[in-house]
Amino acid sequence: MAGNIGQFWELTGFANATWQHLVMLAVGLFFIWLAIKKDFEPMLLVPIGFGMLIGNIPFNPDAGLEIGIYEEGSVLNILYNGVSAGWYPPLIFLGIGAMTDFTALIANPKLMLVGASAQFGIFGAYMVALLLGFMPDQAGSIAIIGGADGPTAIFLSSKLAPNLMGAIAVSAYSYMALVPVIQPPIMRLLTTKNERVIKMKPARAVAQSEKIIFPIVGLLLTCFVVPSGIPLLGMLFFGNLLRECGVTTRLAKTASNALTDVVTILLGMTVGASTQASTFLTKETIFIFALGFMAFIIASASGVIFVKFFNLFLPKNKKINPLIGNAGVSAVPMSSRISNNLGLEYDPSNYLLMHAMGPNVAGVIGSAVAAGVLLGFLA
Amino acid sequence: MKRKLLLLFALTALGCATLSAQARKGLKINEVMVVNDSNAVDEYGRHAAWIELFNSNYAAMEISSVFLTNDTTCKTLYPVPLGDVKTKIPKRQHVVFWADNRPTDGTFHTTFTLDPSKPNTIAIYDADGKTLIDCVTVPVMKPGQSYARKVDGVGAKEGEAEEDYWSVRDGSESEGDYITPGSANKIKGTNPKIDEFKEKDENGFAMTITAMGIVFSALILLSICFYIISRFNASRSKRKKMEAQGIDHAQLHPDEQPEGDSGEEIAAIVMALHDHLDAHDRESSVLTINKVRKAYSPWSSHIYTLRQMPNRR
Repeated sequence: MAGNIGQFWELTGFANATWQHLVMLAVGLFFIWLAIKKDFEPMLLVPIGFGMLIGNIPFNPDAGLEIGIYEEGSVLNILYNGVSAGWYPPLIFLGIGAMTDFTALIANPKLMLVGASAQFGIFGAYMVALLLGFMPDQAGSIAIIGGADGPTAIFLSSKLAPNLMGAIAVSAYSYMALVPVIQPPIMRLLTTKNERVIKMKPARAVAQSEKIIFPIVGLLLTCFVVPSGIPLLGMLFFGNLLRECGVTTRLAKTASNALTDVVTILLGMTVGASTQASTFLTKETIFIFALGFMAFIIASASGVIFVKFFNLFLPKNKKINPLIGNAGVSAVPMSSRISNNLGLEYDPSNYLLMHAMGPNVAGVIGSAVAAGVLLGFLA
Repeated sequence: MKRKLLLLFALTALGCATLSAQARKGLKINEVMVVNDSNAVDEYGRHAAWIELFNSNYAAMEISSVFLTNDTTCKTLYPVPLGDVKTKIPKRQHVVFWADNRPTDGTFHTTFTLDPSKPNTIAIYDADGKTLIDCVTVPVMKPGQSYARKVDGVGAKEGEAEEDYWSVRDGSESEGDYITPGSANKIKGTNPKIDEFKEKDENGFAMTITAMGIVFSALILLSICFYIISRFNASRSKRKKMEAQGIDHAQLHPDEQPEGDSGEEIAAIVMALHDHLDAHDRESSVLTINKVRKAYSPWSSHIYTLRQMPNRR
């Protein structure tokens, strides 16, 4: 009897708990609190936070229970395959494509360059990561956090540095949730009062035929330049064609609602569960969080600075408000909302939302292209 | 209709045949040992000449029914038997065939041997017995030497000499001379791409410039393309508008041509019309009262869902 109880005790979480487990459980609870109480990206932080709880409940790995996320054949391991083999992110991109209205970008194609300029964040962080002693493939995976695109970060790190994927994914999603905190000070710092009240010309009306041509031409052009971006860009533009062509409404609805919801749940939960204390609480994780933060700042700043630079060449009536520069990172639509809110703060009649959506969706394309470039060079 | 169906069928068949041929094209003769006196042994513990094949595709390849031969006049000398699970080569992996003329010993024992006194031409033909998949002529070799591709599956392109991509190996310890039946010819401890970046682009500057150049050029291309499309679209809509108003487009001065409507202009026109016509939308103030009808369903029936009290007698 005593032997049985002793054996049972050894299998419990209490007997196997370490301080690392407790730290990770606390982080998971913090994420859930942030999502519920502060409303920071709840759709992502609730699954990730709860996944952290699931993944960090201590158990005896030698008991052969096959319950751990890294134990082959376990239920969590099967669900985690979408992350480790990299097929959840393209499905999310399908949903993003089906949700995204590219009208603002089509109406003002030069805003694509703002989306491109924000990718400096990725490569700035890449250089710093190399300085800190990371290998080029690891540095590339960490740097992609600067693209502010969770699925892209997961996709790239699953290919280049699977051992760092948990930390990279959590870092990317954390900073995406903290966009409202990180970006406004940078935007204020880099702009003058006069620049913040620039009123942009309203965008022209975009014909339906243009909206249909966009995903087709977009796919062909970008993927001919960077074929390694096909999984992400292909699905993004495919989803957008489903939305815009007008004859596949049911498919577009499924892609943007049910499918995205299902994959988001699985992706968030398994990414959270992959942050097991033994693999997560390392010196590298701290570096990754620091580098991710830096990448985010560089990306936001380079978008704003690029708009200011671009304005030097634009006629007076066609100037761009640099407050939309931050939207070059692909945190859609959060960063556009920040541009809009900040614009309204300085001029209550200056609505920047639709203008900011241009660089914002260009940022989605830009970060997928950047991921394709890194994958092509480093895989 | 019938003709269309036939055409579709023919195209599909052609596509399938091409795909199959393309898939098998990835099968390469990778390393050959003609005189094996002290190297690898087969499953019976015997030394024999061997031929290593490599699946250079990034997908598994089934090689049963392809033909292996050392005589190009007899292309179907040894058909790889059907029904052996080991004939499915995983992606980027190798299999070894023993050229010992003992086909009864198993799937991987061929019906021919290699002649050490003269060069041996070894070829693989597809299941049709005609389509050449890969071929190599192995020079006369000393005992214990192998003839191997320098890098797995990589051969000469058009206009290049095939011999430049092969080397004679004696199994010495020096790099590039290993004899590796059933495994990679070039042993890679790390990813050479990564090593190269680490060595030549230590601070990541070149990567940053190149990658940002690519990102910018991709988006600039897209931007230019849509600038052109939008110009074309705008001029087409202007022309249509003028046609609707009965104006001849050719007679107008460029400054007199109407501009494309922005969304705001359209909204303003609609609001003005709405005001002018006094077309108030009354629907919001109409109260619609419909009789609520509950369709019967056993799932909502009280009879079935409530627990019946026991009868008291």
